[in-house]
Amino acid sequence: MAIKTIRIATDVGGTFTDLVCFETDHSTGESRVITAKSDTIPRNFEEGVLNVLKKGGVDPGSIDFFAHGATVIINALTERKGAKVGLITTEGFRDTLEIARGNRPDFFNLHYQKPKPFVPRYLRRELPGRMSYKGEELRPLDLSGLLAIIDDFKTDGVEAVAICFLHSYANPVHEQTTLVEVQRLWPEVSVVSSHQITREWREYERTSTAVLSAYVQPTAERYLSRLLARLREEGFSKKPYIMQSNCGVDSLESVSKIPITMVESGPASGFWGAAELGKLIGEPSLLALDIGGTTAKCSLIEDGDVKIKTDYWIERDRTSAGYPIMVPVVDLVEIGNGGGSIAWVDDFGKLHVGPQSAGAVPGPAAYGGGGTQATTTDANLWLGRINRDYFCGGEVVADMAAAKAAIEAVAEKLGVDADVAARGIIRIANDNMANALKLVSLNRGHDPREFTLLAFGGGGAMHAVALAAELGVRKIVVPADASVFSAWGMMMSDLRRDYFVTRLIDLKQGAGAGIEQVFAETEERARAQFAAEGIQACRVRFRRYGKFRYQNQDHTIEVLIAAGQLTDERLAEIGTFFHETYEREYTYKLDAPVEIVGIHLIASAEAGKLTMRKRQSTGAQAHAALKGHRNVDYALEGVHQAAIYDSGKLEPGMTFSGPAIVEDPGATVVVHPGNRVEIDGYGNIHIQLAAER
Amino acid sequence: MRTEIDDPITLEIIQNSLQATADEMFAVMKKTAMSSIVYEVLDMGTGVTDAKGALASSGAGIPAFVGVLDKAVKVIAKKFGTPGDILPGDVFATNDPYYGGVTHLNDIVVAMPVFACGRIIAWTANIAHNSDLGGMAPGSITDQATEIFQEGLRVPAVKIISKGEPIRPVMEIIKVNSRMPDVLEGDVWAAIASVRIGAKRLQELAEKYGVSTFEKAMSSFMDFGEQVSLAELTNLPKGEFEISEEQDDGRIFNVKITISDTEFVVDLRKNPVQSNKPVNASRDGVMVCAQMLFKSLTDPNSPANEGSFRPIRLLTREGSVFHAKEPAPLGFYYEIELRGKDLMWRCLAPHMPERLAAGHFGSLCGTFTGGIHPDTGRQFTIIEPQVGGWGASPGRDGNTAIFSSFHGETYNCPAEINEARNGLFVERMELNLEPGGEGKYTGGRGIVMDYRIRGESGFLTVGYMRSKFPPWALAGGRVGSPNYVRFIRKDGSSERFAFVSGFTTHADETIRIVTGSGGGYGDPKERDRAAVEEDIKNGLITRERAREVYGIA
Repeated sequence: MAIKTIRIATDVGGTFTDLVCFETDHSTGESRVITAKSDTIPRNFEEGVLNVLKKGGVDPGSIDFFAHGATVIINALTERKGAKVGLITTEGFRDTLEIARGNRPDFFNLHYQKPKPFVPRYLRRELPGRMSYKGEELRPLDLSGLLAIIDDFKTDGVEAVAICFLHSYANPVHEQTTLVEVQRLWPEVSVVSSHQITREWREYERTSTAVLSAYVQPTAERYLSRLLARLREEGFSKKPYIMQSNCGVDSLESVSKIPITMVESGPASGFWGAAELGKLIGEPSLLALDIGGTTAKCSLIEDGDVKIKTDYWIERDRTSAGYPIMVPVVDLVEIGNGGGSIAWVDDFGKLHVGPQSAGAVPGPAAYGGGGTQATTTDANLWLGRINRDYFCGGEVVADMAAAKAAIEAVAEKLGVDADVAARGIIRIANDNMANALKLVSLNRGHDPREFTLLAFGGGGAMHAVALAAELGVRKIVVPADASVFSAWGMMMSDLRRDYFVTRLIDLKQGAGAGIEQVFAETEERARAQFAAEGIQACRVRFRRYGKFRYQNQDHTIEVLIAAGQLTDERLAEIGTFFHETYEREYTYKLDAPVEIVGIHLIASAEAGKLTMRKRQSTGAQAHAALKGHRNVDYALEGVHQAAIYDSGKLEPGMTFSGPAIVEDPGATVVVHPGNRVEIDGYGNIHIQLAAER
Repeated sequence: MRTEIDDPITLEIIQNSLQATADEMFAVMKKTAMSSIVYEVLDMGTGVTDAKGALASSGAGIPAFVGVLDKAVKVIAKKFGTPGDILPGDVFATNDPYYGGVTHLNDIVVAMPVFACGRIIAWTANIAHNSDLGGMAPGSITDQATEIFQEGLRVPAVKIISKGEPIRPVMEIIKVNSRMPDVLEGDVWAAIASVRIGAKRLQELAEKYGVSTFEKAMSSFMDFGEQVSLAELTNLPKGEFEISEEQDDGRIFNVKITISDTEFVVDLRKNPVQSNKPVNASRDGVMVCAQMLFKSLTDPNSPANEGSFRPIRLLTREGSVFHAKEPAPLGFYYEIELRGKDLMWRCLAPHMPERLAAGHFGSLCGTFTGGIHPDTGRQFTIIEPQVGGWGASPGRDGNTAIFSSFHGETYNCPAEINEARNGLFVERMELNLEPGGEGKYTGGRGIVMDYRIRGESGFLTVGYMRSKFPPWALAGGRVGSPNYVRFIRKDGSSERFAFVSGFTTHADETIRIVTGSGGGYGDPKERDRAAVEEDIKNGLITRERAREVYGIA
C-alpha cells in the first residue's frame, strides 16, 4: 500500500481554473492541502487545467483520485457556441420546440420576446409512428423518409442530431431504432435521443433537453477527450471523474455520452460539500449559501439530504421563459447579488443592488480598475467590514478614493451621507439574499429557525450573521477554506446517477407489484450501467423515492420509500407518510385518492472520497490569532470596535466573542456584537447568535 | 438592537416582503390545486390589500387577475362592517360579480383578514377558476344562459370559515352544487391554504417591524406606484382618441380615451345595452382591462398596486355591455373584457406604435371539452385557453404561439399529459400557416391542434372571437388570420364554428383548433429580402405567395 494518497479537484471557471489538492499521509492520517489558481484558457480549457497542476506542484502521474468540474457546458449554451442541430420528431410535432409552453412571465410587457428555438423550423423534421401514453405502439415507425432527412441535414451543415418522439418515456423503442439507423447512415455525426437522458413526460421539455444536449455534445466530447489525452501524456493513469449537476461524480466516458448533465456542476459540488460537512460536524439540516462575485446561490439540506430535481431551466427569469433541461440538478435558487453587484438609485429615489455586476473587469470601484459604480464590496470596504489594508488577501491595494466617489454618487441621489448609503447598500443586498433563502425554506414549508446557516464562497461569511438574524437562524458555520469550498465538495462526492421515470399508478391495493417492478427495472438498468464500467453490483447502493400526489393534482411530493421489496402491505404506510408530508407543507390534507406519478432512484457507489481527520491543536488561546482592532460598521447595530483575527492562526477549540472580524486571504467573516465564536476540530468557524435579539 | 425602524430602507424591505408574500401564496396555490386550469393555465391570482381593500401587492400569473382581488375585499369589508363581524381566523368567499366577484361565477375569491394588535391591518386574497360550479351546463359556462342564475351557484360574499373552523353547511352547499365536487373541494382548500400562509407571513412582518411601520410601508408603496404612473403619463401623447369597431356578432363597440398629464380617462358609455346572452362584463371587470392596458403603457416592469392605477378614470353606463346589471349572464365575460382591452389598444396604437404593436389573435379561444376517459372510466374536463399569434411592431416580428394579453405566466398542456389525463389523442400541434399578418414586420403565427376524441358522448363548448374580423394591422401591414374550430366527423365532413355550447362528440371525431396570426406592421414590399427567404426556407410561406405579397423575384 502506498504511503500517501493524492486527491485533486480542478474546477474550470469563467476567469480562473482552481486546484485543490489533498495529500493524505496514511501513517498519520494528516492531510497537506495545496490550493492554486491559474487563468482559464478559453479555447484550450485543458491547458489551463495542466497549468494549474504545474503551478500547484502536482505531478499528474502521482494523482490517485482526480475530480473535475467545468463551466464548458453552460458557457457553450449561454454564449450560443454549440453545434448546428437537426431535430427528428413525431409527425405533427415539429413545431413543439417553437410553440414551447406559450407562457409570458413578463405579463404587463407587450414587447415581450419569446426565446428563439435552438433549431430553426427547416431543421426540425418528422417521422411517422406513434406510441400511446401507456407505451403501446399505435402506428409503426416508418423510416423510409430518414435518408432524405439526413441528406438535407448534411447539405445544411448539421453537426449534431437530436431525436425525440412522443411518449418515448413510456416506450423508447422508436427512438432506439431511429438512433441506430442514423448512426448506420451517418456514422460520423453526433446523435442523441431523448430517452437516453430522461424518462419523464412533457414533450416540450424532453425535446428541448435532447436538442440542448446535442447542441453541446461535440464541444464537450472534444474537450473531455483532449483533457484525458493531455493528462495521459503527463503520466496520469487513473480514471478521471467528472462533477455532475446531481452532486455526484461520474466517469469521463459516461459523461462524454450525455455531457449536458454537467450543466450546473459548480453549484452542485458546493452544496454537496455542505451536506457532507454537515454530517461530519453533526449539523445535518442546513441552509447552504454560496456568495460569489456576481451571484448568490442557496439550497436547503434537510437531514443530510440535498434535493435533486429535474425542473431545471436556463435563462429563465422574470422577463423570459427560458429553456428547460430535464436533467437531475441540485435544487437551488440563484439571484444576481454578489460582491460585484452594482448599487443604483432609480428615478424615484429607490435604492437597488444588482443584478448588474461590475464583473472582474472593471470590478468594484476599489479595485482601481476604472469602475465608477458602487458595489457591495465597496460598501463593505467603506464600513470597515473588509480590511482596506488587506484587500483580496493583500494582493490588491484598495482604491479608497474611487470607492468613496462611487458611494457618494449613490448617497447624493438618495439625499444622505456616504455612511448611510453604504449601510443601505448592505441592507438591500442582505434583503435580496434573505428573500432567496426564504424561497428555499419558508416557501417550501420549512422553518428556517430549525436550520443552521452554512456560508461559503468569497462573500458568504460577510453577510451570514445579518441574514441569520433576519431569518431567525441561531447558528452559522463558515467552513475552513470557505473560498475553495466547492472544490472540496467534489472530493467528497460519490459516483452517482439519478433516474427519474414517469409511470402513473393509482396507490391502491394491487399496485404494489407494479411499483416494485418500476423500481426493480430501473435498478437493473443502473447495475448494468455501473457493471459496464467495472463496478460490481455489490458496491452499488440505492435510494428509492416515489413522486406522489392527490389524484387530479399536477405537482408531486417526493417521498422516501424505505429499502426492501415493495408489496401491497406497505402501501398504507407509504400513503400515511404522503398525507403527513403533504399536510406539513400545505396546512391541510384530503380524504382523496392518491397516485404515484413516477419514481426517483438514486444509484451510487463510492469512488474514493476523502476521509477528514481532526486537526491538532497547540492549546493556544484565541488572542494568539489576534491581529489588532478597528472600527467596523455593522449597519443595523451601528459602529463597534471589533477584534481582528487571522484565520491562519485559528486552532481547534479557540473561542471568542463579537464584535470581531476573521480575515482569510479569500474571505472575511463578519462577527456581530453578542455573537459567540468557536473553532471546531476541523478548523470550521461556528458562530452562535445571542438567544434573543 | 434595531435602531432604525421606519427609515426608507426598512420600508423598502417591508414592501419587498409584501411582494414575496403574494408570490408565496401563488406558489402554494399552484402546487396544491386540483384543476389544470389552475395549476397549468394559472387562471388564478393572489394578492395583499390594506385594511380597506386597496391593493398592496399581487402574485398573479395573469395580468387580468391583478386588479380583481381588491374589489372583492372592498365588498366583503363593507358587508361585514359592524365591529365583531370579522374575527381572527375567519375566511370569506365570493364568486358573484354582483357581489365583488368581478369576473364570472366559476371564479371563487377567498379572502382572509390579517390581525395585529386586535385590529385588521391587511387582507390576503386568492382568486381561481373552478372547473364546475353547477348551473345549466357542464363547466358552468354556456352561451345558452340568459340570466346569471343559469350559470351556477352564487356565493354572495359570505363567511366560510369562522375563527379557524370551517362552516360545514356552507362548505357542503358549495360542494354539492358542483358536477366535480371533489375537485372543487380540493381547489377551495388550496385557496384557503394560500390565504392562510399569506396572513401568517404578514402577521410576522407586522410583529417584527411594528404595525405603524407596516402600515406606513403599505401606504408609501401605493404612493410610489402612483408617482411612477404619473411620471410616465407625462411621456404619453396627449389628447382625445376615439374608435368604433364592429364585433363578430355585429355589435359596434366604442371607446374614447382622453390622456392628460394627470389623468387617463376611458369612456365606454357609447356602447350597446347589455345582452341577454353571457357576453357582458361587469364594470369592475372593465376597470381591470383599463388597468391592464394602462400599466402596460406606463410601467410594465414593476409590480402593480392601487397607486399605479390612481390616474385612471373610467366612465361606463349601467345596463350596457361594459357595465352589466343583475341578472345579466356573464359566462364569457373574459372575451368581452379582452375585446374592451383590444379596443383601447387599437384606439391608441397608431399614436404610439413604439409602445403598442399591431393586434394579436385577440381571443382567449376558451375551449371546454369533456367526457368519460375511455381507459379509467373517470369523468374528465378540459378547460383551456389557446396560444396564438401576436402582432408586429416597428422593428420586430410578432411572437408566435403565446397566450393572449389577458393571460401571462400561463402554460399549455403537454400532449403527453393531455393524452394520459384526458383520454384523447393529440394528433398534431403545429404552426398555423394560413396567409395573414404579412408586413415589413410580420405577425406571429397561431397554431393548429387536433384533438381526436376516443370516447362516446363527450361535449364541446367554445367561444372564440376575432373569427370573422381577424387581428388588425398597423402602418400598411396585412391583417392577421382568424380563430376558429373545425369539427371533423368520421366520414370526413366538417363544419367550422366559433361559438358552440354543449355540442356532442363521438369516438374518432376531430376537434381542430385553429388560432390566428397577429397583424403585420408596415408595407410587405419593404420586408427585408433575407427575412423573406428565411420564411420560405422555414416553410412559413410559399415562394408563390412571397412573390405576390412581398414582391420578391
